[in-house]
Amino acid sequence: MELSVNGRTRPLPDDLADSAMPLLWVLRDLLGLTGTKFGCGVAACGACTVLVDGQAVRSCVTPLASVAAQRVTTIEALGSAERPHALQKAWVLHQVPQCGYCQSGMLMAAAALLASNPQPSDRDIDAAITNICRCGTYPRIRAAIRSAAEALRSTERRPARATPAPGPKP
Amino acid sequence: MKRRSLLLSGLGLGGALVVGWGLLPPRSRLGSADMLASSEGAVGLNGWLRIAADGGIELAMNRSEMGQGVHTALAMLVGEELEVPLARVRLIPAGQERLYGNVAMLIGNLPLHPSESETGHETSLAKGGQWVVAKIARELGLNVTGGSSSVADAWDVLPVAAATARAQLLNASALRWRLPAAELTVADGIVSHASGPRAHYGELAKEAAATPPGDVVRKARADWKLLGTAPPRIDLGAKVDGSAVFGTDVRLPEMRFAVIRHCPMIGGGAGAVDSDAAMKLPGVERVVRLGPYAGSTAALAVVGRTWWHARQGAQALRVEWRAPPGGPPDTRAIEANLLQTARTTADRGGGFTFHRRGDVTTAIAGAARQLVQTYRAPYLAHATMEPVNCTAQVRDGRVEVWVPTQVPGMARALAAKVAGVAESAVTVHVTYLGGGFGRRLEVDVVGQAVRIALETGGRPVQLIWSREEDMTHDFYRPAGAAVLQAGLDAAGMPVTLRITSAGDAITPRWIERGIPHLSGPVDTPDKTASEGLFDLPYEIANQHIAHVATRHSMPIGFWRSVGHSHHAFFSEGFVDELAELAGIDPVAYRLALLKNMPRHRAVLELAAERAGWPGHGTPRRLPAGVARGVALHESFGSIVAQVVECTLVDGRPRVQRVVCAADVGTVIHPGIVAQQMEGAIVFGLSAALHGRIDTENGVVRQDNFPAYRVLTLAETPAIETHLLPSTRPPSGVGEPGAPPIAPALANALFALTGKRLRELPLVL
Repeated sequence: MELSVNGRTRPLPDDLADSAMPLLWVLRDLLGLTGTKFGCGVAACGACTVLVDGQAVRSCVTPLASVAAQRVTTIEALGSAERPHALQKAWVLHQVPQCGYCQSGMLMAAAALLASNPQPSDRDIDAAITNICRCGTYPRIRAAIRSAAEALRSTERRPARATPAPGPKP
Repeated sequence: MKRRSLLLSGLGLGGALVVGWGLLPPRSRLGSADMLASSEGAVGLNGWLRIAADGGIELAMNRSEMGQGVHTALAMLVGEELEVPLARVRLIPAGQERLYGNVAMLIGNLPLHPSESETGHETSLAKGGQWVVAKIARELGLNVTGGSSSVADAWDVLPVAAATARAQLLNASALRWRLPAAELTVADGIVSHASGPRAHYGELAKEAAATPPGDVVRKARADWKLLGTAPPRIDLGAKVDGSAVFGTDVRLPEMRFAVIRHCPMIGGGAGAVDSDAAMKLPGVERVVRLGPYAGSTAALAVVGRTWWHARQGAQALRVEWRAPPGGPPDTRAIEANLLQTARTTADRGGGFTFHRRGDVTTAIAGAARQLVQTYRAPYLAHATMEPVNCTAQVRDGRVEVWVPTQVPGMARALAAKVAGVAESAVTVHVTYLGGGFGRRLEVDVVGQAVRIALETGGRPVQLIWSREEDMTHDFYRPAGAAVLQAGLDAAGMPVTLRITSAGDAITPRWIERGIPHLSGPVDTPDKTASEGLFDLPYEIANQHIAHVATRHSMPIGFWRSVGHSHHAFFSEGFVDELAELAGIDPVAYRLALLKNMPRHRAVLELAAERAGWPGHGTPRRLPAGVARGVALHESFGSIVAQVVECTLVDGRPRVQRVVCAADVGTVIHPGIVAQQMEGAIVFGLSAALHGRIDTENGVVRQDNFPAYRVLTLAETPAIETHLLPSTRPPSGVGEPGAPPIAPALANALFALTGKRLRELPLVL
């Protein structure tokens, strides 16, 4: 078996890759992609959120078989050190993370939201971000999504810009 | 040792003084360079700091990062004194030496009333107690991240260590260049002289290590560049790209995964086990029986090639579970017993007295009016986002443990005991913690993981509890009940207050399971059982604040803000009732009781002003169907006031806005303080609106987030935080934002509906 993750097709070990195995454990324990987290195992907390063909999916209840032919994107490929995603920049600017454990899932859920709705209202954000954070980073998540949406809009207005937008100032 | 345990509970202060040791000066916490692990090119200057070849500063980090921002805050303390930007401070793990222990936390556990412990106005008893406990704490060297004490503890240590290093670097430069040290300047990690010579720390480190510091002077507050500013937290980058390593993210060659099934009944055991079906499943390797470790319930663990394969195996086990002798805990019976105990004890004026002044019996007889009410709070789970976990490897007589823990020393001691090796053969690696909230002050999982690792032929094994196991086998915030009785004078002001509370004591249970050699033969009164009740700031002439320590079989532990977490709900709900009875505005009523408490007044006034409370600042008109409530509470040395604006949606409370004002002493990083206030408010609202753990047939009913609801983003109010400027030493930040939110909300709900809620969670 193989799986398309973060733009690469990865072989999975035949003796362990079971079609019923949740995507979460395939990513974490077979592929070593530990950025996606285990939080509840019942799709209630969203710590395991990844993108499957661009849609936010809770990987802890997503069997491997159901994503075999699809493209999976995890936090490791949301952006890169050189080109962070607008959400990652906004997350730093607003100093969102505390413990950080839920943040991969939050970022992936937010990325799916902005991809489908570039100008989300507060109500849209409330409806889309149902992930749980015990540290209480919600108010900053809301603010960071709004500012990332704004940043993406201004980038779209100036697509020819040669230099990347400045990162957050310390 | 028993005497020490007595002192840990905050009493028996005279005891240690009779020992000659008590007269020796306190153990230094500067430490020596040989306490740091050696590394290529880096030069140690003391037990905390090493200078890297490139001039970067390496700080021995003794505290666990669980979201509270402590890594950033402690690095800032060092960067400030050494004149380097935050980015130049790198963290290295601290060892096991006693200097890395937590002194401030144990001092904070003394049951001192604010009237005797206010900085600069301490009574001699308070001063003596603090001195002795500080000395004992230095000897014990308990490394604990908890009690909102990390920055307070570092405040007298890290800046001194850094200032000492700076003095050595300056003196070494002066010797090298034959120039007076006073003429040298230091900026951005470079020492220079106006005449031209300059060198970065890395070039000076070897000479500095051999140069005495002379007089060490900490930087004046006016010269601070870093402290009080809000640079990006040093853990941000790794926490937005998935690269931060939590306990569950440790990956080692040949590593195996383990899934646990505890006896569903807390404290129970396992009889016959049929593991045939489990062992036939692919990827399942072995089944291990686990006894109790540091308070855990007996369990079975299944080891597999991935966590999912192990889980399949665990689910296939057939186990004959056994109830514990005496039966499993029954929370309904316990809660009924607590209420009954508080009532009967209040009737006879009994309980252990934590605070007494005046004469409540006479005063109540002479009061114009009186009010008696009963308040209650349930058990609560921590529900950290990262489930309880530990990775362990045992080979060649050595043990390695990777664990998200608040207590690395306790983890090490238990690992050694379980593996049957000396503590010196154990290495504990502290990962990032995916939330702590007190749950990771427990080491049960360390004992389990090491026990399993004894069976895996030298391979490392990672034990991760499922969410269900995490939630049903927690060490819960204890349930509590209290009877509050006040007598008012003709003007409606309280002249007498009696509080009688009942609940289990956390500290002795925690010492018993985690540091058994410090456990005494009998429980001594535990400050956490009465904190937030006996230490109220209000001026009430006659007070008797007592507590009955009960003992039930439900396992209990420290939960963010501990006793304050529910006691503030009791006391601030009751004070609001008194204001209502007196017909006086709740803010004005509190201010009238705080005439001699200027810091508390200032915090309350700031919150009222920014919230637009009538009569304060610019009055804010609330639309129909929205009401406000206030609460003020001091905990962990910090004072926090919150004003809640609340409405009803589908008949249920919905908090729209929270204005939070806080005096946390000197502010190291205002952004992190605001984060912690926001986080504590959300955490407290989860408990206030939804939090309850109870048992049915001996098993905890709430087994995952759908049954143990926590606040969601959609339910989260707008939160603004305002900090009082202060030059006092830093006090607690991680916890003090939590206690006031439940009473502020309950008081708002009273204003909104006329219904007074005296039981958590708040259900209309």
